[in-house]
Amino acid sequence: MTARTSVAGRIAVRLATSLLVLWGAVTVAFVALHLTPGDVVDVLIGNSTVTPEVRAAIISDYGLDQPLLVQYVTYLGRVLRGDLGRSYQLHQPVAEAIGSQIGASIQLTLSAFAMAVVVAVTVSVLTAKRSRWIRGLFSGIELVGVSIPTFWGGILLLTFFSFTLGLFPVTGGLVLPAVALAIPVSAILTQVLREGLELTLDEPFILTARSRGMADLAVRVRHALRHALLPTVTLAGWFVGVLFGGAVIVEEIFSREGIGRLTLTAVTSKDLPVVMGVVLVSATLYVVVNIMIDLFYLAIDPRLRGAR
Amino acid sequence: MHQRTLAGLIVPVVALLALTACGGTPAARKDPGGAPTRGGKLTFAVNTEPTCLDPHQSAQDVTGLFTRPALDSLVSLDTEGKVHPWLATSWTVSPDQKSYTFTLRQGVKFSDGTPFDAAAVKANLDHIVSPATKSQLAAGFITPYTGTDVVDQYTAKVNFSKPHSPFLAALATAYFGIESPQSLKQPQDALCQKVVGSGPFVIDAWTPKQGITFHRNPGYNWAPENAKHQGEAHLDNLEMKVIAENAVRLGALTSGQVDAIASVPPISVNQAKADPKLTIETRQAPGGNYNYYPNTSSGVFTDKRVRQAFRDGIDFATIVNKLYFGTYQPASSPVSPSTAGYDKGTETQWKYDPAEAARLLDEAGWTARDSEGYRTKDGKRLTVRWPFFKAVVRENRDTLTEQVQAEAKKLGIDVAVTNPASIGEFVTTYIKGDYDLVDFSWQRADGDALRNLFAIDSIASATVFGQNAARYSDKEVDGWLNDALATTDLAKRAEFYAKVQHKVTEEAVVFPVYIFNYVLGASKKVHDIGWEPQAYPTFYDASVIQG
Amino acid sequence: MTLPALTTSRTPRRIPRAGVWAATLFIAVVAVLAVAPGLVTHGSPNDADALAALQPPGGVHLLGTDANGRDVFTRVVFGARPSLLAGLGATALAVAVGSVLGLLAALGGRLLDEVTMRFVDVLLSLPGLLLALLVITVVGRGTFNAILAIAAYTLPSYARLVRAQTLLIRRSGYVEAATSLGLTPGRIVLRHILPNAFAPLLVVATIEVGTALVAAASLSFLGLGPQPPAPEWGAMLSQGREYFSVAWWMAVFPGLAITLTVLSVTVAGRHLQRRVEGRLT
Repeated sequence: MTARTSVAGRIAVRLATSLLVLWGAVTVAFVALHLTPGDVVDVLIGNSTVTPEVRAAIISDYGLDQPLLVQYVTYLGRVLRGDLGRSYQLHQPVAEAIGSQIGASIQLTLSAFAMAVVVAVTVSVLTAKRSRWIRGLFSGIELVGVSIPTFWGGILLLTFFSFTLGLFPVTGGLVLPAVALAIPVSAILTQVLREGLELTLDEPFILTARSRGMADLAVRVRHALRHALLPTVTLAGWFVGVLFGGAVIVEEIFSREGIGRLTLTAVTSKDLPVVMGVVLVSATLYVVVNIMIDLFYLAIDPRLRGAR
Repeated sequence: MHQRTLAGLIVPVVALLALTACGGTPAARKDPGGAPTRGGKLTFAVNTEPTCLDPHQSAQDVTGLFTRPALDSLVSLDTEGKVHPWLATSWTVSPDQKSYTFTLRQGVKFSDGTPFDAAAVKANLDHIVSPATKSQLAAGFITPYTGTDVVDQYTAKVNFSKPHSPFLAALATAYFGIESPQSLKQPQDALCQKVVGSGPFVIDAWTPKQGITFHRNPGYNWAPENAKHQGEAHLDNLEMKVIAENAVRLGALTSGQVDAIASVPPISVNQAKADPKLTIETRQAPGGNYNYYPNTSSGVFTDKRVRQAFRDGIDFATIVNKLYFGTYQPASSPVSPSTAGYDKGTETQWKYDPAEAARLLDEAGWTARDSEGYRTKDGKRLTVRWPFFKAVVRENRDTLTEQVQAEAKKLGIDVAVTNPASIGEFVTTYIKGDYDLVDFSWQRADGDALRNLFAIDSIASATVFGQNAARYSDKEVDGWLNDALATTDLAKRAEFYAKVQHKVTEEAVVFPVYIFNYVLGASKKVHDIGWEPQAYPTFYDASVIQG
Repeated sequence: MTLPALTTSRTPRRIPRAGVWAATLFIAVVAVLAVAPGLVTHGSPNDADALAALQPPGGVHLLGTDANGRDVFTRVVFGARPSLLAGLGATALAVAVGSVLGLLAALGGRLLDEVTMRFVDVLLSLPGLLLALLVITVVGRGTFNAILAIAAYTLPSYARLVRAQTLLIRRSGYVEAATSLGLTPGRIVLRHILPNAFAPLLVVATIEVGTALVAAASLSFLGLGPQPPAPEWGAMLSQGREYFSVAWWMAVFPGLAITLTVLSVTVAGRHLQRRVEGRLT
C-alpha cells in the first residue's frame, strides 16, 4: 500500500465512523422524543398553544400518524435537510434560534480555549523538570483548578474582579467568562503538557540540542514543546465537551447570551425540539473537530501516513 | 369570547404567573434645569424578556415594556386615573354606555408609511378578539366587545353587548397598542418577532436573550396630551438589554455600562441609594397584590377556620419586611393601595394572632399531632398542597415560600410545595383545582381586577380560564362586581369594590402577602423616565446628559 | 468537569503523603457527617427564622445564617448526604450499566461489540452536561432523575474500560482454559473477569466520583436537582449568589464544601491510581 492510498483510506474510515456517530446522535434524539411521557405532538409543541391546523401540520410533517419506522425515516430526512424542527416557545425554527445564539458561544469557548493554551504552554514550559518544590506548588494549583466547580469559580471571579475591584465589565465583557471557563481546561492541559515535556526532555535528541550549546528555554520551546503538544491534541474532542457544557453554566452566571442560556431555558420550559437541536449541533461540532484533528495529525507527523 | 378551548387555557396561566410589574406613585424626576438634552442613546437593562413581542397576543408586562416605545394607544391614562387624548382626540359614550365613539387624530402615520384611520382602529380591536390571535390578556379586557363601526375615515364607534366601564382604562394600556394594519396581516408568529406602530421610536431588531433596539421615529408629532413634551423623542437610540442575573444587572448600572435598570434587587436597594451617581425610583403597582389563594372548593381550606388560621397564624408582615428590607410592603387587601377602589378598612380587619390561629385549628378538629409535630384529624395530616412553578419565579418568592413553609410548620401545618415539571403540568393542576394553595400577583390599573380574582365565572374549568384561584363562589360578591361594571361613577364603583374587599377578607379567601413595587435604578445623567399607569417605565420624555 | 481519566493514562505524579492523609481524613469526615449529621449540629437544617436572617458568621451561627434565617453550618453539614448520594449513586449506576455494556461488547461477538461501542461513541460525542440536560428534559427534574442524567454521561468511560480489561483477560487464554474446564460463562464473568477488572475500575470510579459530584451540584445549581428547602450544596450556592453582595457566607461555604470534597476525592483517586498501576506493572 502506498502512503497516498493509506491516507485516503484513513480519512474514509474516519468519515464513515463520524457519520455513524452523527446517525447515532440523531437516533438518540429520536428515542428521547418518544420516551418523553405524553403524546409526541404535545411534546413537540411544548407549552405553547397552536391552532388545530398547525397541529395537523406537525403531525403530517413528522409523519406522526405513520408507523414508528416511517416516523424515524421521516425524522432522519428532516435532520439531513437541516430542519431541526420548530420551537413553539420561541416562535421560530430551532435552526434559526441556534443560529442566532451560537456565535456568542463559539466566541466564548474559543477565547477560553486560547487562554487555556497560553497558560498551559507557559506554565508547563517553565515548570517541567524543575525543582520538586516548584512542580509541587503548580501541581497543587492545577489540582485545585480541576476541582473547583465552574459555577463557584465564576461567582467568585465576578464578585471579586467586577463588583469589588471594578476591573472588568459586569456584562458584555469576554474576559471573565472566558477565564471561568478556561480554569479547568488550563489545569488539565498543563498536566498533560508537562508530562509530555518531561518525557521528551529525556529523549536523546534533546541532549544533542543541548550539547550544541542551545539555551535551555530555546530547547524547551523549539524542540521539546513540539513533541509534547502532539498527545494533547487527542484531548481536543474532550475539550469541546467541557467547553460547551461549561458554557451553559458560565452564560447563566454572567447573563451572557448563547447556546447555553438557550438550552437552559428550553430545558425548564420542556422545549424538546430546541434541546434536541442543540445536542445534534454539538455532536456535529465534536465530529468536525475530531476529523480536523486527524487531518492535523497527518499534516504534522508524516510517519503516521504509512501507519495503517 | 369568554369561552376558550382547553388549548387556549395554557397561556393565560403563563400570564398569570408572569404578569406583575405595574403600579405607581407620582414623583416624576425633576430636571436640574434647562431644556432636555437631545440625542444620545439610553440603555435600559431588564430582568426578563418577552416570549412574544405582540402585546395583542402576549400577557407579559415585559411585552408592554418592550413595545410601548413603538406603539401608541387611542387614549392615555395618568397616574390619577384620568383619561387623556392620544391617537383619539375626543370621544363620547352612548347613554346606554354600550358604545364609545372616538374622533381620531389626523395626519398620523405608522412607521411603515400606512396612514392611521378608523379602519386601523377596527383592524386592531378585531385582531385582539380574533380567536386566531389567542390573546392572553387584551381580549379578556373587552369580553363584551361586539365590533367596531367605521363611521367615517376619522370616526370609529366601538360597540359592546353590555355596559363596560373599565374600557377606557384598558384601552390606555400597551396591550391595546395600535399596530399598523398592514403589519397585522402577517401570521401571529411573525408578529411575535416584530411589531410596527406609530410610536416615538421604531424597532430596529429584537434578539432573544440579548435585547431590543430602537431608533427615534422622525416626524413623530402625536404624543399623548399629558406627556411632558410634544414632537420627536429626545433620544436618538434606545436599547433594552436582557440581564437576568440580579447582581449582574445592578453591577452593570453601578459600573456605568447601562444607564438604567429594572428591578433593583430589594437586598441592594439601600446600597444603591447610597451611591451618589444613582437615583432609585419606586412605583407601587396597582391591581392584585402578590397573594396566596386558598382553594375554597375542595381540601383543607374549605373550612374557613383553617384558612383564617393560616392567614393569621403566620407573621406575613414581619417575613415580608425582613425579606424585602422594606422595599415591598406587607399587604392587607387583595388589591394594592394604588388601585382605584382600594379599601383602607382591610388594614385593620385582620392581624397576626398565633394563639387565635391555634385555637381555630383545634376548634376545626385538627387537635392530634403526628411524630413530626404536624396536626392531624382522623389520622390524616393537615397538609397544604402547593404547586409552585419555580421556573418563572421572581423577587425571591421562592425564599419567601420556604419561610412560610417553615412558619406553617410551627402552627402544625405541613406545607407540601411541589415544583411542576412544566407550565403545562401546572396549568392542568390549576384548571382541575387539584391544589390547596397557589400564589400570584395580578396587576391592573383598575379595581376591576377584583372581578378577575373573585367572580364566579372567573373560576378556571376545562372550558373557561380565570384567575379566581380561590375557586370562591359567592352570589353577593358577584352582584357587587357586576354593579361596579355598570357604572362609570368612580365613587360608586369604589363603594362596590370596598364591599368586595371587606367580604373576601372576612371570609379569608385570600392571604395578602406583599404589595409589589417597581424599583427602577438609574444613573443621575438620565432624566425624565416616565411611568405607564401599570407602573413600568416609558422613554418618550427621557434624555441622557452626554459625557 | 469530566477528567479524561483514561486519556491521561500515564501514572500520575506521586502526591505527598500529607496530602493523601488530609484528603482521606476529609472524605472520612464528610462520609460520617453524611450518615449522621446530628453529631455536630443541633436543630433541623430547615428551621427558618425571619428575624435571624443574614447574620454573619460567628457566635451562635458559626457560618452565619441564610436569607431565611437558617443556620448555614447546619445546612452545609446536612448537605453532605444528598451531595454524596448523588455523586456515589450516579457513579454506581454508571459503573453497573457501563460494565454490562463493556462485557456485552467484549464477549457478545463482533456485531454486538460494534453496536455497543458505537453507542458509547455517540454518548461520548455529546457534551456531558448537554446529555444530562437532554435526559432531564425527557424524564423531568428531581433528585433521582439528576442521578440518572449524570450516570448517562459518565458511563462511556466504564464501558470502554471493562471492555478493554475483558478483552485483555480473554486474550490471555485464561477464559479458554476455564471454559474447557466446564465453567459456565456467567461463572467466568463473575469469578474471573470482574475481579480482574475491579482494580482499574475502582481507580477510575474514584476519580469520576469527583466528576459526578460536581455534575450533581451543577444540576442543582441550575435548579434541576433536589428541590428546596432540601439542603444541597449546589442549590444553596444558587440561592446564595443572589445575596452575595451582602451575605458572602451564603455562597462561599457550600462552594468550599463542594470544592474540598472534589479535591479530596481527586487526590485519593490519583493516589489509588498510582498504587494500583504500580502493582499491575
